[in-house]
Amino acid sequence: MIDFEEELKKFHPSLEVEDAVEAIYNQDLTDMADILIKMVEKTKEKEEQE
Amino acid sequence: MICYNCGCRLSEHDFCTGCGVDVSLYKKIMYMSNRFYNDGLDKATVRDLSGAVISLRQSLKFNKNNIDARNLLGLVYFEMGEVVAALSEWVISKNLRPKKNIADDYIDMIQNNQSRLDAINQTIKKYNQALVYCYQDSQDLAVIQLKKVLSYNPKYIRAHQLLALLYINIEEWEKAKKELLKCCQIDTNNTTTLRYLKEVEHMLMPEDAAKNAPKKKTSSDEVIRYQSGNETIIQPVNGKDKSGVSSLLNLGIGVVIGVAIACFLILPARIQSAQADINDELRIVSEQSDVKTATIDEQQQKIQSLTDENQRLSDELASFEGTDGALKATDGLMMAVSTYLTNPEDIETIAGYMESLETQEGEEEETRTASFTALQENFLTLTGEQLGTYYYNAGYESYNADNYEEAIPNLERAYRYNETNADALFYLGNSYRRLGDNDKAKEIYAQVIDNFPDTRRANEAETYLAEINNEN
Repeated sequence: MIDFEEELKKFHPSLEVEDAVEAIYNQDLTDMADILIKMVEKTKEKEEQE
Repeated sequence: MICYNCGCRLSEHDFCTGCGVDVSLYKKIMYMSNRFYNDGLDKATVRDLSGAVISLRQSLKFNKNNIDARNLLGLVYFEMGEVVAALSEWVISKNLRPKKNIADDYIDMIQNNQSRLDAINQTIKKYNQALVYCYQDSQDLAVIQLKKVLSYNPKYIRAHQLLALLYINIEEWEKAKKELLKCCQIDTNNTTTLRYLKEVEHMLMPEDAAKNAPKKKTSSDEVIRYQSGNETIIQPVNGKDKSGVSSLLNLGIGVVIGVAIACFLILPARIQSAQADINDELRIVSEQSDVKTATIDEQQQKIQSLTDENQRLSDELASFEGTDGALKATDGLMMAVSTYLTNPEDIETIAGYMESLETQEGEEEETRTASFTALQENFLTLTGEQLGTYYYNAGYESYNADNYEEAIPNLERAYRYNETNADALFYLGNSYRRLGDNDKAKEIYAQVIDNFPDTRRANEAETYLAEINNEN
């Protein structure tokens, strides 16, 4: 049996067109490649310090 | 694929040929991104838009620069009615690759049509307002708002789902199902849609629920439950007795139904079938009878024709027999002549042949030829006296023996062959008189008197004639 109140919580307001720019800027675009590059860079820094 | 360190194009090796950095892991990440993009593309092709969104977002988490995946994600959002989300993806895509990017066309398509952009914005606002109404428990207003939203943007999945949820809440199951089916036409495999649809279809089958409810109740009423140690014993109440009575009752009902079926369904069908068979047989027999009648008529016609033919042939044969009779007479005369030439004294044999000739003489005189008659006359000239004597002796002998019936033909022949023999004619008259044929006797006596006048036989004939006349 569907609980109306619980189901209603799953619905969120849509972004309006005016909010789109802000949403784009706030979007986290970090991907696995970025994480890999950072890990490689940190590894290099550690090696240089040693 | 470009090296993340120096920007050099990577080869098939696991290191960059430009800077020597190990790129094996980087390559794997790029491959994973491409793999998720392919999966998202497949799902989008079969309208599994929710699945495509998941795959494409995974693809972008591995590689944010996967432009194809991002553009496709924007397109999928747009198809689901999420215009702002689609615009966001396309704008990011355009920033990541400013040139030769199809996202440019998509953005232009929306931004160049200001009225459409305003309509989209109004739609989003109304949706959000409807959501607010829902939180405020103003569901009627929410339904009205959502209907307006869907009239502007019929592919807005979230609006369809929210409207269906509101219908479910007010138990408008048919309307909810209609909205959910529209959702399925846009996005075939949306988990939320399918969950709501399952609930609605379950509620749209009240018959099953109604059937199940009393069964449970009766089953619980007809048993006795009690605890025996750690075990729960469930015992039916009067199970055996009821089952026995009900079995007999069911058996009786079954028999009655069977008889009724036999009487009202099977028996008429059998009777009709039997009547049909009889009619068929009657028709066959009738046809056979007609055939036989026709055959009989034909046979009767044949018999009639054969009878006619037979009659015709008989007549023809009779005519031939006439000819045959003439031939036989000729044969008789020829044999008599032959016998005379061979043995002139054999009068008896000659007489026999002449008798056969005589017998047929009266019947077939017309068929005889002139030569036959001439031969016969000549032959009688030669043998007539002898034949007359022969027949007179035979006739007189019979006369003396009082055998008048035998005497009459011989005496007639004797007089025919020898007309001078008055005794033969006189004894012929006596024979008729003795037999009682007085008329014939008077005729013969008259001939004696006429042919042999003044003779003793004539006197005697006159006497006998007078006696006969006196007797009369």
